[in-house]
Amino acid sequence: MAEEVTFKCLRCGYEFKGTYDRKVPEERECPKCGSNSIRPLPKKKEK
Amino acid sequence: MMDVGRHPKINLLAYSEIEEITGYIGNFHVKVRKKARYVDEKACTACDECVKVCPVVMPDEHQLGLSTRKAIYMPFAQAVPASYLINMEDCLGNNPIACDKCAEVCDPKCIDFDQQDEFVEFDVGVAIVATGMYVCDPTILDEYRYTKYENVITSWEFEILTGPGYVTKGELLRPTDRKPPKNIAFIQCVGSRSEKRGNPYCSNICCMNTVKDTLFLKEHHPEIDCSVFYMDIRSFGKGYEELYKRSKAVGVKYIRGIPGDIVEDPKTKNLIVTVENTTTGKIEKHEFEMVVLSIGVIPRPETEQIQRALTLSKAPCGFLMETHYQLDPIDSPTGGVFLAGCCESPKDIKSSVIQASGAASRAETLLTTGKVKVEAITSTIIPDMCKACGICADACPYGSITVDRKAKTPAVVVEAACKGCGTCGAECRFDAIEMKHFTDRQIMAMIDAMFEEKPEEKICIFACNWCSYGGADLAGLSRMQYPPNGRIIRTMCSGRVDEKFIWHAFKKGAPVVLVSGCHFADCHYINANRWTQKRIEGMWNKLERKGIRPKRLQLEWISAAEAVKWTKVMHAVEDLRKTVTKEEIEETKKILSDKKKG
Ligand code: SF4
Ligand code: SF4
Ligand code: SF4
Ligand SMILES: [Zn+2]
Repeated sequence: MAEEVTFKCLRCGYEFKGTYDRKVPEERECPKCGSNSIRPLPKKKEK
Repeated sequence: MMDVGRHPKINLLAYSEIEEITGYIGNFHVKVRKKARYVDEKACTACDECVKVCPVVMPDEHQLGLSTRKAIYMPFAQAVPASYLINMEDCLGNNPIACDKCAEVCDPKCIDFDQQDEFVEFDVGVAIVATGMYVCDPTILDEYRYTKYENVITSWEFEILTGPGYVTKGELLRPTDRKPPKNIAFIQCVGSRSEKRGNPYCSNICCMNTVKDTLFLKEHHPEIDCSVFYMDIRSFGKGYEELYKRSKAVGVKYIRGIPGDIVEDPKTKNLIVTVENTTTGKIEKHEFEMVVLSIGVIPRPETEQIQRALTLSKAPCGFLMETHYQLDPIDSPTGGVFLAGCCESPKDIKSSVIQASGAASRAETLLTTGKVKVEAITSTIIPDMCKACGICADACPYGSITVDRKAKTPAVVVEAACKGCGTCGAECRFDAIEMKHFTDRQIMAMIDAMFEEKPEEKICIFACNWCSYGGADLAGLSRMQYPPNGRIIRTMCSGRVDEKFIWHAFKKGAPVVLVSGCHFADCHYINANRWTQKRIEGMWNKLERKGIRPKRLQLEWISAAEAVKWTKVMHAVEDLRKTVTKEEIEETKKILSDKKKG
């Protein structure tokens, strides 16, 4: 199921919000640096 | 279509739906639901007597409701087979029979109210998908008030209103007063070329369709004043530019600018169109008696069912994906399945005919050869290790693995269907899958060799054969400069990159590991790289839990044309490598060799 998560770019560190569904992988790109290493941060880790 | 219907070797299953397709190239098994027509199609002489007596009048779907049909009807004039059918939802009822008028007048006695849906099953060697297209919903651009103003119609409706089969027999009358319009406007790109509303792609056929419509109008009704509002007229293709010029020469006005608003004059029912004319830079108002919205095209909704049945993939635009858009535009990624016409992309009749002819000959070649070359790189199951968990079967983009989870019998790979992406091998948690070539042992040995000396200076890169490796190659050929610390391990697909390869690299002292593959839309193995993404996302969490910085595992989608991106990524991973100290590497090695943590 899709949920609101924080994505973190593992290249430049930029964080942004978006919807994430573990079962439906999507190609993601960092809006700042263009990297595809976009990690959906696990919920409990969010501050 | 008539020729197809009569051909002794073509079995036409009209008014039918695919229920299921199983199997693989050369051995497909197809199950079709032949829907009940309640009319014996072979006996029906299409005499039309039933239609005359049927009391039920319904909007005719084929004519977009602009005309009517009865409960018993021929779907459209040129339908093959030329047989009637009863829409049971409209019919006054067969249980108990409430009307029966059609049966009473039918001389050959072909009405059969007890007819049931029939299932037809057969085997075929190849399949051609030609599911066609549908049109965009014009209401997404609410400023044109399609549902509010009767005189705003779509290009499809225009086709029907000016066609010989329509009630006016081809006479264009405007809907509100049933009089021929004095002037008419066409608005292009409705539902096309917009990121926000409708579709981002160009629908390919609407410009030329409008040019054709204006020429038709000018030929039959030279007195009608025609204007076309457009962004740019895309008249590519043989003879098309000439048609466009002819349309302008006969007096059709082409106004560059897409209208922002349509308002109806309540008295005259004329339509006031407001537009910014981008040639003059002025806001203009034009009055028309009719407006035609040139709607774009979308894939038919039913295509999804076929897509699932044949494990085909969809491009981001929703149309079916070909193996390669330039070099292999007819084959689908599933062996033995070919694409023809607008199911693959919006196209005109000529291009559809070309692709269909190509698909027919591709199919013919396979059928007459009677043999297929299987990939040299395929997967093999080690039955003793297999726990019948079924993950490999879920992961295989081609459905080439079968597992009976209940019976717990080991998985089986159909080699003729396997394309060798290696995703199953990477996903199997029990090491029960071995690849022919690009074996685990080979890849592990490459990692060992890579980190024998000065591991802290090296970046372990996995690059897929079709895209990222090509991108690296192009960067090299183009003499682009980038740090030389990367060591590439080529795999056919990024889906092959097993977690254990990555762990092994970190254990051996890798400061940074990069996994790269094709962009989602370009995956050579339909969607195998989705599994890569899921795997890497899972690994980021695991790395964090183990106390290893997740960013040391990088993921990039790089196409074979993206030499510049490859270079940029190489600089980025090198910058990252410089932040990883020898101490951090030693710490990682310790964590991973610690049985409890690693
Ligand atoms: S039985 Fe149904 S289809 Fe036949 S005439 Fe009556 S309403 Fe029409
Ligand atoms: S993933 Fe491995 S264990 Fe599971 S069914 Fe496939 S081969 Fe067997
Ligand atoms: S290698 Fe790829 S195509 Fe072959 S069986 Fe495994 S997942 Fe399917
Ligand atoms: Zn970034």
